Amino acid sequence: MLKAPSCSLGILRKCGNYSLAALLVPALLVPTLLGAAAAENPILDPAKLLKPATDSWPTYNGDYSGRRFSPLRQINQLNVKSMTLAWVHRANAGPSGPGTIVGGLGPDVPPVAGRETGFGGLQIKATPLMLNGVLYFASPDNAWAVDARSGKELWHYFWKTTGGIHIGNRGVGIYENWLFFETPDDYLVSLDARTGKERWHIQIADVKQEYFSTPAPVIVGNHVMVGTGGDSLDVPGFLEAVDPETGTVQWKWWTEPLKKGDPGSETWPDENSMRHGGGMTWVPGTYDPALKLYYLGTGNPQPVETGHGREGDNLWTCSIVALNIDTGKIVWYYQVSPHDTHDWDATQTPILIDGTFEGKPRKLIAQASRNGYYFLLDRTNGQHLVTQKIIETMNWSKGVNAKGQPIPNPAKESTVDGVLVSPNSTGATNWPPPSFDPETGLLYVGTNETFSMFYLTDTDPHPEGYAAAERNAGGYGTTLRALDYRTGRTVWRHRYPGGGGSAGILTTAGKLLFTGDGAQNLIAFDPATGKILWHAGLTANVSNGPETYMLDGQQYLVVGAGDSLYAFTVEQ
Amino acid sequence: MVLRRQIPAVLVLLPLAVLQLSAQTPTGVRRPGGGAGMDYNAYDPATLERGKTTFVSQCGGCHGSNAKGGEGGPDLIRAVPVIDDENGNLIGPIVRGARQAQGMPKFDLSQTQILEIAAFLHDGVRAAAERGTYKILNIVTGNARAGEAFFNGEGKCNTCHSPTGDLKGIGAKYDPINLQSRFLMPAGGRGNTKRTTSPIVVTVTTAPGKSVKGTLERIDDFNVSLTDAEGNYHSFVRKGEIPRVGLKDPLQAHYDMLPKYTDAEIHNLTAWLVTLK
Repeated sequence: MLKAPSCSLGILRKCGNYSLAALLVPALLVPTLLGAAAAENPILDPAKLLKPATDSWPTYNGDYSGRRFSPLRQINQLNVKSMTLAWVHRANAGPSGPGTIVGGLGPDVPPVAGRETGFGGLQIKATPLMLNGVLYFASPDNAWAVDARSGKELWHYFWKTTGGIHIGNRGVGIYENWLFFETPDDYLVSLDARTGKERWHIQIADVKQEYFSTPAPVIVGNHVMVGTGGDSLDVPGFLEAVDPETGTVQWKWWTEPLKKGDPGSETWPDENSMRHGGGMTWVPGTYDPALKLYYLGTGNPQPVETGHGREGDNLWTCSIVALNIDTGKIVWYYQVSPHDTHDWDATQTPILIDGTFEGKPRKLIAQASRNGYYFLLDRTNGQHLVTQKIIETMNWSKGVNAKGQPIPNPAKESTVDGVLVSPNSTGATNWPPPSFDPETGLLYVGTNETFSMFYLTDTDPHPEGYAAAERNAGGYGTTLRALDYRTGRTVWRHRYPGGGGSAGILTTAGKLLFTGDGAQNLIAFDPATGKILWHAGLTANVSNGPETYMLDGQQYLVVGAGDSLYAFTVEQ
Repeated sequence: MVLRRQIPAVLVLLPLAVLQLSAQTPTGVRRPGGGAGMDYNAYDPATLERGKTTFVSQCGGCHGSNAKGGEGGPDLIRAVPVIDDENGNLIGPIVRGARQAQGMPKFDLSQTQILEIAAFLHDGVRAAAERGTYKILNIVTGNARAGEAFFNGEGKCNTCHSPTGDLKGIGAKYDPINLQSRFLMPAGGRGNTKRTTSPIVVTVTTAPGKSVKGTLERIDDFNVSLTDAEGNYHSFVRKGEIPRVGLKDPLQAHYDMLPKYTDAEIHNLTAWLVTLK
């Protein structure tokens, strides 16, 4: 039995009842105007995001730089061995928990078993925000507030889904008292962060076109940055800025040119290919407040695993782009994978580094990219500075061109009888957040040294979807790497003996690096040398980026592993 | 993006059950077959066939017989009115003339024919979206004699294997794709847990002259465990290099080949192995 959509709470672009939504618009303008005067003692004044704080974790990456480096040092090399578990919180997903607030447009009983928790069980991929002693996080269709001192649940919101791939959710954004998260069926849902009650929801994209949405919205000023995903049906990607009060779209930037003659259209054979060209925006970006530029890594072109029908570089897929935060206009771009044919999106966090290059201070931006290369650019103008191979097994490129871009070897594009490619489509690295430690000057990233066979399955001149099948062919496991940011060269590496996945990374001024291996261990490394200093065996692999904050004079380390959050402290 | 999904066995059976049902209205729900987020309708083969026949004769001239676009007509598989259509509610009006101004002619088709065409198109959408159901085509394209030469020569496969010994009849036992996957990544690949075939042999030396040997159960930076020849389980805490841990993977030669293979060698070896019936 379908319940009536909860349209009455929202400005809805597509909710089945436009007339109702239209009637409500004037009513909603009233709170909007009131909202123009900032809420009293809001949970998060967006101006605070401009000053990195240690008493909170206010945005996906902790601050706008994407460094995931904390200046906290209460937990440090000298005392990390006495770090102990403060609490564990096991998240309960789904509609049935006591007090769970239920919203959403789908049926009461999900059409697919396991959709309440996400495929393969609940995996906390979100980096929780921590504000005023409360942790806020999300998983597909679920959002929670949890007491950061005790791990006790404060509220839980569940969204009844209409579909979409339930693979992950990277968390929430908070503006004043309003919380925002995205759903697999492509809604941006806004809750009152104090109660978990829904304010409104808006549709971001059409789930029937196989869009699904996983990013954590990043708040910049009064912009909620909203991206999406979806690789199955050849759809164009976009990033949009949404008004936190009303849910109206302030601007929308498409990751491809929309028509022939537009800038970038020369990199596609025709309008049809660019309008079905992919380029998803599924990992939160970074932001330079001085330059007012929002930096984003864009996804792979579509069809995903063949270049037939989309000959050319396929701008602005697989690119690092700089967008004007107020207009959404592209200011510069650098394409790290021209004409990708292996699903190697370039969505990995572009990290802002204020460093030196060739002896001069530079505003830099660095990405360890899924295609197996490290890139260093000038973030004021996109000038290319460094390209460096980061995994030894990579075999798909013929080298780099004069602009430092890899030159794909056409012989390694899918064929009917298969080609062996390294890395596999998961890439040398993926979404788990990397870290940059300004004290060591090293950028840390987990890499996979893998191989796959890619078989072309759609031989039509206009292939669709992925158009190819992949069979894993094994490899050499998972490695934690420390890269010199000026050269991209690996300074030290730690190969996990048991293989497994690569997790998110945090570095701190306590001279510690926290991450997880593929054997359910949370590990503290010396960031300068790669020496292991501490570990704890959890009940699942670390599944998010670890974070840290100071609360009541105590430094906490919080990490998500599977369905649970773990908090550690050194007792004072 | 990479998708990992486990489909309960019971769900795999479902499409078979719904095949028997009438298809005028889509019946049953196709469970995501791999990579797709929507629950695509399942249609019976007769409906799809009728829809295809009508489509090819009436629409194929412009849209291509596979609906992926042709002379003058756009690709319909990725067309939003097709993707969003339910029971012909968007396709029907267009077929009946709603887009004549844009050059789409009016067709006099019955509601049944429109539903059958819609079924054919929806199944095309499903087939594009569900990458887990993509069929790998002919991969036996190599030169079998060159494959045999590689087996006995550069590949050094004959160090461990023989076409008249352990590989006898292997071409009949596995289809080509599984055969190829098995020599590229035998025994399901590496991992930190116990392998049932070709287990990793581990030797843990706790003091000079004092060691325990067995098959690897699990290893990480902090622990190693094994089962010895008598079936006894042992586990050890690791502190850096102490105790000393030696690993011997009988499949190591396969992993060492990965950076060395040319694609032609893989194709040739496959072409020869499939002849070992």
